[in-house]
Amino acid sequence: MTLPIALDAMGGDFAPGEIVAGARRAVDELGLSVILVGVPELIGDSLGLEVFACTQVIAMDDDPAASVRKLKDSSLVRCAELVRDGRASAMVSAGNTGATMASALLRMGRLPGVVRPCIATPIPNPGHTPTVLVDAGANAECTPEMLVQFAQMASTFVRAHYGVAEPKVGLLSIGEESSKGTPLVKETHQLLANDASLNFVGNVEGRDFIPSPVDVVVTDGFTGNVALKTLEGALTFIFSTVLGVINTNDETRAAGRVLMEHLVPVANELTPENQGGAMLLGLDGICVISHGSSNATAILNALRVASEMDRADVVSKLRTTIRPDQA
Amino acid sequence: MSADAATPSSLDRAAVLAMVRRDLAEILEKTPDEISEDAVFADLGADSLALIELVEALEETLATYVAGFHIDDEDLEGLTSVRVAVDYVVAKLQAA
Repeated sequence: MTLPIALDAMGGDFAPGEIVAGARRAVDELGLSVILVGVPELIGDSLGLEVFACTQVIAMDDDPAASVRKLKDSSLVRCAELVRDGRASAMVSAGNTGATMASALLRMGRLPGVVRPCIATPIPNPGHTPTVLVDAGANAECTPEMLVQFAQMASTFVRAHYGVAEPKVGLLSIGEESSKGTPLVKETHQLLANDASLNFVGNVEGRDFIPSPVDVVVTDGFTGNVALKTLEGALTFIFSTVLGVINTNDETRAAGRVLMEHLVPVANELTPENQGGAMLLGLDGICVISHGSSNATAILNALRVASEMDRADVVSKLRTTIRPDQA
Repeated sequence: MSADAATPSSLDRAAVLAMVRRDLAEILEKTPDEISEDAVFADLGADSLALIELVEALEETLATYVAGFHIDDEDLEGLTSVRVAVDYVVAKLQAA
């Protein structure tokens, strides 16, 4: 019997309405099994889905670690416990990212040998499988050894999830030369180059995200988060600018009608809500973090990714990546 | 030492120190030998989440000696080094 995916019904800017609607679509359109975790009185109409009741909610701006310790009957903590206890195959939340990570880490635990879990965010790479950015924000300060481990885990994820046999790994820097970058980047470059388990192709720059010559971009969580948000902001600005130009006058609107059928697929490919959220790699369980502003479509895709990770047995593959002796 | 037979007083400072070093080593993927009593958590690379992991591990272990052993969240900020953490836990056990 397939275990359900535990979905935090209380997390996200548009919770619980859009969350529940996304869950319903995942059940109807993808045939997934989903259990909503939340406060029944706040959820209201669960659209016929099963609800695992709890009494507390971690707010978007709550301190992550402290809230997980204090709010033990919160939807986030309960989601992680359902996975830990073997009652759910994965957890998905669009709530407080830090608290999601803290809940998952404290309840599911790390895989043996993993120093710190990292956030892996897929970035659309038109015409190819997405490029995975690690770390997209879990660890502001990193050591070279942590970055190497992030690269190993992301490579395993890309192999298992996207079917890329030998994922190309790039290290985010300010130039392609190995002499460029901070001490962290330069030391990491050497370690990656000497790691025979990785297909390290050298440094990449900020302009190499879309389109990208690599399958994995590795960096520390601070830089990764800045890069990700810069990319999102730039894409949003470009979309709104193009739409504004199209809507200038009757002539441009007529041209827009012709262009739209070509522009919409491109926009859909680049829209974050269609990517399915970010994955926490290195935990003894599956946790997918959806964007805080997730709508029903974003939740549907996050649930799809969680289900695919479960089917691909990503956690077991990560376990043997970090500790090959446990294969 | 059997946890059932233990009393708070049977957990002396050396035992608590060994416990903190063992748990912290596991969390940080280091060996206990790499964690001295003088070590500052930040220097070891222990971020706030790692400290919460340590606190929860200590609470779980120590609850077998003192029922309901709990480290107050308000005190977490002050736990900045191995020595401070050990002194804090020892004082809590003696007060129990």
